Amino acid sequence: MSVPFIKVEDLIFTYDDEDSIDKHYVLKNLSLEIEKGSFVCVLGHNGSGKSTFAKLLNMILSPDEGKIYIDGFDITNPDITEDDLFEIRRKVGMVFQNPDNQLVATIVEEDVAFGPENLGVEPSEIRRRVDSALETVGMSEYATHAPHRLSGGQKQRVAIAGIIAMQPECIIFDESTAMLDPQGRAEVMNTIAKLNSEQGITVIHITHNMDEAVKADRVVVINEGEIFLDGTPKEVFSNVEKLRRAGLDVPQVTELFYDLSHHGVDLPSDILCEEEGAEILSAWLKK
Amino acid sequence: MTKLKLVDVNYTYSEGTPFRKDALRNINIEIEDNCITGLIGHTGCGKSTLVQLLNGLLFPTSGEVMFDGNNIKEKGYDLKTLRHKVGLVFQYPEYQLFEDTVYDDIAFGPKNMGLPKDEIDRRIKEAALFVGLEERYFEVSPFDLSGGQKRRVAIAGIMAMDPDVLILDEPAAGLDPIGREEILGGIYSYQRKRKNAVVIVSHSMEDMARYSDKLIVMNDGEVFMQGNCREVFSETDKLLSVGLDVPQITKFMRALKSKGIDVRTDIFTVDEAKAEILSKMGGCGNA
Repeated sequence: MSVPFIKVEDLIFTYDDEDSIDKHYVLKNLSLEIEKGSFVCVLGHNGSGKSTFAKLLNMILSPDEGKIYIDGFDITNPDITEDDLFEIRRKVGMVFQNPDNQLVATIVEEDVAFGPENLGVEPSEIRRRVDSALETVGMSEYATHAPHRLSGGQKQRVAIAGIIAMQPECIIFDESTAMLDPQGRAEVMNTIAKLNSEQGITVIHITHNMDEAVKADRVVVINEGEIFLDGTPKEVFSNVEKLRRAGLDVPQVTELFYDLSHHGVDLPSDILCEEEGAEILSAWLKK
Repeated sequence: MTKLKLVDVNYTYSEGTPFRKDALRNINIEIEDNCITGLIGHTGCGKSTLVQLLNGLLFPTSGEVMFDGNNIKEKGYDLKTLRHKVGLVFQYPEYQLFEDTVYDDIAFGPKNMGLPKDEIDRRIKEAALFVGLEERYFEVSPFDLSGGQKRRVAIAGIMAMDPDVLILDEPAAGLDPIGREEILGGIYSYQRKRKNAVVIVSHSMEDMARYSDKLIVMNDGEVFMQGNCREVFSETDKLLSVGLDVPQITKFMRALKSKGIDVRTDIFTVDEAKAEILSKMGGCGNA
């Protein structure tokens, strides 16, 4: 079997709480493996530890205990060098929540070039990468525009292009859709799905939007610093009660089927999308 | 009673420059007290421009804004008092906190209104209760709070000014399902107690279906639809035609109908859907 792209073992992360002697555990003994090329959604309510987990994966934060391997390389090794860190952050790119906090230049294409420039890439190669990254996210026509005049969804796509230009193997989206309107959200989600399916980039998408999680290959629910549920979207969302206890919603159609089954109607509990649900329920009603 | 009235309002940004943009065209709306008005539309449809007109942060390029029957553009109109009476909570208000303690931050507005100390104290406690902020946080620095708690502080600060009209721009953006419910539920019970006018700007039809009495739907700088929730939601086709996101359960009911099941399609909550489907099942004797 191949080595997983990301392997996390017994991860512990605490914040010191000045008011108490007890440590505040954000992550406790979290272990997880993520295969290369997969599309994983990490769900959890605010404060569940999901963003901390993301920030550990490219050493923006370092764990109190536990090991993290990226592509077989132990990034938690205390002897890690600055160069190693650079390489890890190139391999594992990150797109944050607020589109206004991550654009640095005054022109879109210069912003996308910022990463590769800092990696010391040849100018002609930078040009090529910037053009191709902007094309991938569908922002080529805005190459010479000012970022502050773009919509939220467009800004996030520029931020994603900036990451792609560094040719990462994995991109972590840390609630990158949370501040966007439905249209911007759809633009970004389509871009994410495309990067995963066409370029084989491993995607870790952190969100509390259930509709987005439905699109992933795998859903991992983190609750109180631990893995609470892990499986395909269908497997995870059929646990309606458990998800509610973790402060999460399920898609409305899943909820409806769940409620109906409690009224003695014999229906499957793993329905996620409206078309599938309508198909099954209409067949049932016509019986 | 009508508190705010906009008559034939137009607003143009950067008039006379190449960036000229008509943000609002021919707006005629009324904001009434004893009512929660939901303001819905895409990013860029003019919602945020509109709310800034409501308390005189911007003035219309043409047309009138009337508060309590008085034109706010009249010479000598007391704008300071207007801004005490029409409270505006911006998007992501958690970035606007600045005082040393939570208590002082909430007190800032009422203090500037020149209220006596004991009245300020009373209002702070009441506002904190509405937004679900425990008193043990009062002496904490707002910067030590989580994002969701900071937002509660910011909202409480405006509530404590006891405005006739409280406007909140995307108060639940970026929060998880529990956080959304707590914030919106808090605003709802505040409004039901005060019986004042509340305007909530939102992208979420699902949230607005639950919490608002009246809806104003904006599209491309114009008022596209307005009326009570039922009236607006009964025209799903019209909403979908301008790309507004309707709840999944509504799409599901439409899909069910298209498969030949005779069900209502003006349904926006899971409970309503359940009742409707169970009634159909009762009809065929299966349930």
